[in-house]
Formats: sequence, C-alpha cells, structure tokens
Amino acid sequence: MPNPILQLSEIDKSFDGTHALRGASFSLFRGEVHALMGENGAGKSTLARIIAGATSADNGKLLLEGSPVVINGPRDAQRVGISIIFQELDLFPHLTVAENIAIGNHQFSRQFKQRRFVRVADLDSFCKPFLDQVGLTRSPRCEVRTLTTGERQLVAIARALSMRARIIVMDEPTSSLFDDAVERLFKLIVELKRQGVSVVYVSHKMDEIFRICDRVTVMRDGQTIDTRAIQDVSPAELIRMMIGKEWQSRDRKPIELSSEAILSFSGVTTAKLRDVSFDLRKGEVLGIAGLLGSGRSEIGSVLIGLDRCRQGRISMHGNHLSIGSVREAQTAGIRWVPEDRKLEGLMMQMSIQENCTISDLGAFSRAGFVKRKREYNRTMELFHGLSLKAASTDLPVSTLSGGNQQKVLLSRCLLANSDLIFLDDPTRGIDVGAKEDIYKIIEQLASQNKGILLVSSELPELLRCCDRILVMREGAVAAELTAGNTTQEEILTFATQAPAQVRGHA
Amino acid sequence: MSIPVIRSFISFWKRMNGQKQDAVKSLGALAVIFILAVLVSPTTATGSNIFLQLGNLTDVLRQGSIVGIISLAMTFVILTGGIDLSVGSILALSTTVVALVLTRWQHGPSYPLEIATAIFIALLVSTTSGALSGAIIAVFDVQPFVVTLAGMIGIRGLAKWLSNNANVDVGFGQDVASTFAAIFRGKTITIACYAILAAVFYILLSRTIFGRYVRAVGDNERAALYAGLPIRRVKLWVYSLSGLLAGFAGVLYAAENHQGNPNAGVGYELDAIAAVVIGGTRLSGGKGTIAGTIIGTLMIGVLTNMLRLNNVDSNVEMMIKGGIILLAVALQKQGRQAR
Repeated sequence: MPNPILQLSEIDKSFDGTHALRGASFSLFRGEVHALMGENGAGKSTLARIIAGATSADNGKLLLEGSPVVINGPRDAQRVGISIIFQELDLFPHLTVAENIAIGNHQFSRQFKQRRFVRVADLDSFCKPFLDQVGLTRSPRCEVRTLTTGERQLVAIARALSMRARIIVMDEPTSSLFDDAVERLFKLIVELKRQGVSVVYVSHKMDEIFRICDRVTVMRDGQTIDTRAIQDVSPAELIRMMIGKEWQSRDRKPIELSSEAILSFSGVTTAKLRDVSFDLRKGEVLGIAGLLGSGRSEIGSVLIGLDRCRQGRISMHGNHLSIGSVREAQTAGIRWVPEDRKLEGLMMQMSIQENCTISDLGAFSRAGFVKRKREYNRTMELFHGLSLKAASTDLPVSTLSGGNQQKVLLSRCLLANSDLIFLDDPTRGIDVGAKEDIYKIIEQLASQNKGILLVSSELPELLRCCDRILVMREGAVAAELTAGNTTQEEILTFATQAPAQVRGHA
Repeated sequence: MSIPVIRSFISFWKRMNGQKQDAVKSLGALAVIFILAVLVSPTTATGSNIFLQLGNLTDVLRQGSIVGIISLAMTFVILTGGIDLSVGSILALSTTVVALVLTRWQHGPSYPLEIATAIFIALLVSTTSGALSGAIIAVFDVQPFVVTLAGMIGIRGLAKWLSNNANVDVGFGQDVASTFAAIFRGKTITIACYAILAAVFYILLSRTIFGRYVRAVGDNERAALYAGLPIRRVKLWVYSLSGLLAGFAGVLYAAENHQGNPNAGVGYELDAIAAVVIGGTRLSGGKGTIAGTIIGTLMIGVLTNMLRLNNVDSNVEMMIKGGIILLAVALQKQGRQAR
C-alpha cells in the first residue's frame, strides 16, 4: 500500500465548550475519492475545514506526504496544494468568472508578476485551460451572479485547479445541483482522479458515495468510527455505523385514529416542496425527518406564509387555509419556532420577558400601553413551568445559555396557546438537561390536544417524542412511518437513498 | 466605613441590567462635564459663578431644545436600525411654510385660529415629508441613508423654491406673524415644549407596544418578521414622527429667529445623531433610551456653553466636540466588551 498523501490523527476541536471533534483520524491517498459520511452534526464539515486550513485544530497531528505541516488559513493551504469548495460556494457574485479564479491566487500573481495592473487578456489566458478542463462553456468575462449553481460549482473547481491543488475538499457539492449538473460533476471528479488529484467528498447521499468514491470514513459524535473500502461495505452497514447504539422508542399512549385532523396537506407544492400530503391529528406529535435541504423546514415556511403554495391545498380544522403573512398564521392559531434561534428567533439585546411576549403584547396592554405587572406575572408563571433559570427576567436574553434561550422561544408558543405548533430543530446545540426539559414541554403541549410538527436532525429524538414520522427527501415525502414500529436505520435509509434503492433493500 | 458603601454600590450595580448601567454611566459623564463647567466658569464682578446663573442655565436648555426635539424622534429612527438625514431640511421647510402662511394670509379669521392653522399646515407638510421617506424605506426596502439623503436635498430645494430663496421675515409689530413669534420665542415656552415632548417620547418608547416593536425591529429584523411584527408600519411611523418633530422644531425656530429661513438647520441632522450616539444608542439599532438621548443633548449643551463662556474659538469648539463623540462611543464599546 502506498503512503498516504495526507494523514490526520487524534484531531480535537471544540467550539464554546462543545466538542465538535474528539480524536478524529483520517488518511487520504493520491488519486483517491474519499467520502466523509455522518449524520448532521457528526463533525464532517469541521474535519473537512481542518483539512483545508479553514479552521485550526485544538490538538492533533497533520502529516502531508509524511512530514508534519501546520496550515494557518487558506493562503497556507493554497501553498501546500489543498483547496476546499464550500457548500455555499464562496464566490464573489459581482466579479467575473476570470476575476473569481485569479483573485488571491498565487499562481496568477507569479505568472504575471511583472505587471503593475491586471489586464483582462491576462485573466482570460490564465483561466482558459482550467475552464476548458472543467467544461464551463460560459465566457470568463461574465459576472458570476449570472451563472447557475452548477456553473458556479465548476468555477469553484476551476479555481481550485488553477491553484495547482493536489487535494480538493468538496463539502456536500450536490446539495443544490440538478441531475445533469451532478452528472457533469461526477465526470469531472473521475477525470481529476485520473490526473492524480485526491478528493475528499463530504456527503450523506448513499447513492453518490457508492458511485464515485473509493473509500469511506464514517463519523459520529465527533469521532471517526471506521474507514472502509467501498467494495467491502453495504449501505446498511454504513447506516449502522452512523447511528451507533440503538435507541428505544418511548411508550406513549397511541393516538386515537378517529380523532379529528387539525391540519391537512394535500398535494402541496412550492418552490421547494413537491406534492406533500399528510394529516396531523389533535394531540399528535408528527416528526419530520430529512437531511438539510430536504424540504423539512419548508413545510413550516409554507405554513406561515413565507413560501407560496403553488399547487395543492392546506386545510386546518377542515377549512381551507390561505396564509399571506406570519401575523395571519398567528391569528389562525399557528405558531412556528424557527431553526436558528439567534438569527431568526430572538432579539438578543432585549430582555427575557420582552422576548417571551413580543408576539402577544395585545394580551397585556390597554390602549397601546403595556401592563408590565400583568406581563411580569404571566411570564414568571410560564418560566416556572419551563424550569428556566435566570437571575432576572429583565436581563438581555443573550445572557442565557443556549438551552434557556430556546425555552424563551418556546415560551412564546405556550403563551399564545395556539392549536398548531411547528418546531424546527428545537434542540440543536443545547445540552442534554435542557433537551429533556424541551421534550417534556412537547409532551405537555400534546397532552393539551395541540398538534405539533417536530423537525429534528436527531433520530433518537424523533423516535422518543413523536407518534408518527414523515421522512422527507428532495422536497417530497419519502415515507410516513409510525414511531413505535420503525428504527433509525429505516428512517435514515429513506432519507438518504433514491427511491429505487429503497425498494431494492426492502 | 467606606468599604460597605462601595460594596453596596457594587451589588446595586450588578443588580441593574445593562441598559440602566449605561444610563448611570451617561449621567456620570454629564455630571463630570457639569462640574468642570462650574469650575472653569468665569465669575462676575461680584464673584458669582456665571455658568450657574439661572439665566445662563436656562439658556443652555433653550439652545439645546431645538436639536433636542429632533433627536427624540431620531432616537426612534436609529433604534429601528435606520437613520434620518432629512430632518435639517424638514426644519427649514417648516420655518418657511409657517412664516409664509402667517405673512401672506392677510385677512384671517382671528389671530389664534390663524396661528393654529399656520402651525398645523407646517406640521402637516413636515409629517408628510417624513412619511414619504418612511413609505419608500418600508415598502421598497431601500436603505434609509439613501432615501433620507435624497429627502435632505429635495426638501431643501422645496423650501428654497417656496420662498424664492429668500428669508421670509417676521416683524416685531402687532400683526399676526409678530404675535406668533412673540408667543413662541419665549424661553419658558421653548423649554416647556422640549420637556413635554421628551416625556411623551420617553413613555412612548418604554411603556407602549409601539416602543417595544421599535426596539425589536432594530434588534433583529428577521426575528421580528418571523414573530409576526408589523415591520413596515413601524418604519412608516418612526419616519413620520421624525418629520413631525423636525417640523415642530422648525416652528420654534421660526419664532425664535423671527423669520422663515430656507437655509436654516443645515447640519442639524448630524447634531441630532451626535446627541443620540453620545446618549448610548447603538447606531445599528435595537439598543438605546430616550433618557440617554436627553443626557446626550444636555452634555453637548453644557459643553458648548462652557467653551463659549471661556471665549474658546468656535473652530476649536468643533474639534473638541468631535473628540467628545469619539470618547463617548469608545467608553460605550469598552463597557459592552467587559460584559
């Protein structure tokens, strides 16, 4: 076996006290396509960023062709021939294709060292071979914002090639590509491989990994579980490795099937959803599983009027529902807890109490004046029930821990006492104790006969809290499962594999 | 003995939330400037401190009142994360309109009714100007800086066009215009107007739903949208209020200077912004108080008065003011990082 071109061992990395990586190891051979797999939050992206020097490790060794290297930032990475293509493609939309390729590029500066000014002709001639190599047919002089996502991906790859990259890290490159663009990308990867370029391919799409990768490393909870050659492993085995120990679903009184539906989707189609249908009954917790970008959050967006429903019908309590704004959704009895509590949920400088009541100030006011005593009493009551710990409810919400911040956000739903609650990954990035508290809140809401839609990246969580689970894949419902009769394996299989393959395994 | 005092102060300090801490800090800074002004003030022949004379102190308040009134609504605008550069021009428009109505309207019904009508028209025009900026900002989602910059230029032009680029003089006689000026140029009236408006805006920000919404929109507009807040309406309102108060300041200005002046108020928008910023309001929105803005206005007022009593060159005065603004912002920044 040849020596690996890149070897990482015992890599640790933590962000704000939470371990993103614990003793992770990884090796890469020349001309190999090596997949990094794992559930959301397993540490794939962090490891990829460390390989590319975009993040530095707290601990651990990095060997490049057998000798230790320290990669401090993207410039260092470029010098040693490592390049990363981020999921969100870090290109400058208002610069041209050629400018994007040449900017900050050592090779370009070296080649045109004698020039004081950049000449457009130089840019063109510099980029031409790489654009040909990736097969981009657009002019190098057009602005990147006019390109499709697939074309932008090609620009990013051309940029990596022009930097003489020997190792290219691709972070979920197909997450926003259409089929023909995916095909083109795969052809290109095969071509790169032939030229001796190594590719680290971060993905959780099973079919892609089995098509183009040579080896696969599975990650879980910040650790690298195992590395296998692709021909020695089955999708089922990979899924088992990603999940780890099997979780028991909890005992919950089954929902009476006869009970009335609060919410019905029938054939709902939006920009991101395709023909989504389901029913949500009173007192039911309906889980929504799926990878990022699978359409799981978009069910919420259409529900509160952020996305337009192009086809199909949404009805609540049997009545047709047409929502144009968040306010209308609230009036109809729908509450939504967004995915990112800091960016989309809370006003970080405002107080804990103010954050709780912001959507329902009408209930605490007369003639536009806030009755602060009433507001205080009601929120204290709620916070006791949530076991929310704070020195004072007058403090800015930013002084709370992540778990307590999430409770403040949830308290808005409790305050409103609405019939339908959409929770988008409510336990992301919070500690175990707070998670348990949030599960209790969900149970409590369900016992009050409310309907709850729960999106989560964590499968054990879905199995624990939900009655039924909707698995989303590429904007459509891939499966509707009963929480008591399913396993993490089954959910993950539906979420990651193309329909044909699922049938094959069944 | 002093240790328990310090201890109790520290625990008192810790129990306060950040906003109150900031207010105490600004108040402290105002006290420092005030004491400094007393110390360096020249004295009269009889040995009394000129700065502390009642007449001088009320002068400080009166001089601060016009920009002070503008800065009240400016606080709201900045709290939403916006800015209003058009207030100086709106003030000029208002002085022009009120003076034009009073001097050209020869045979009005009665003095009080005519004065009230003139003020009403000036305020209506000013509020409409503000509302127009607000509507463009809210509906088309254009940057407030650009929209109000356009307003600043265009409205100044309107004021000059209306008055043929000349001052509209208000006399000292018995006619309606002179009567208007005589009433509204009084020190007591000016200071009382500022005090009442300050109280109203303080309550508006701290006690009403609207005040909450203003801060929420500036703190995190996306979260405010997802929380179902009427963001567009809030924006429309704050710029309308800004226009209204600039117009009102214009009415006071016209009375005080006995003229409608289309060239009045140049740079007032920046003075108002300075008062707001010195008062601890974050320029990016979400955090700030009316109390802070009042303190900021008084700080500038006392400082200006102190320098003028000591015959400091007005150019040097500007340099010192610039330094004070930087210092104030630096102190606030330090406080935030420590927290």
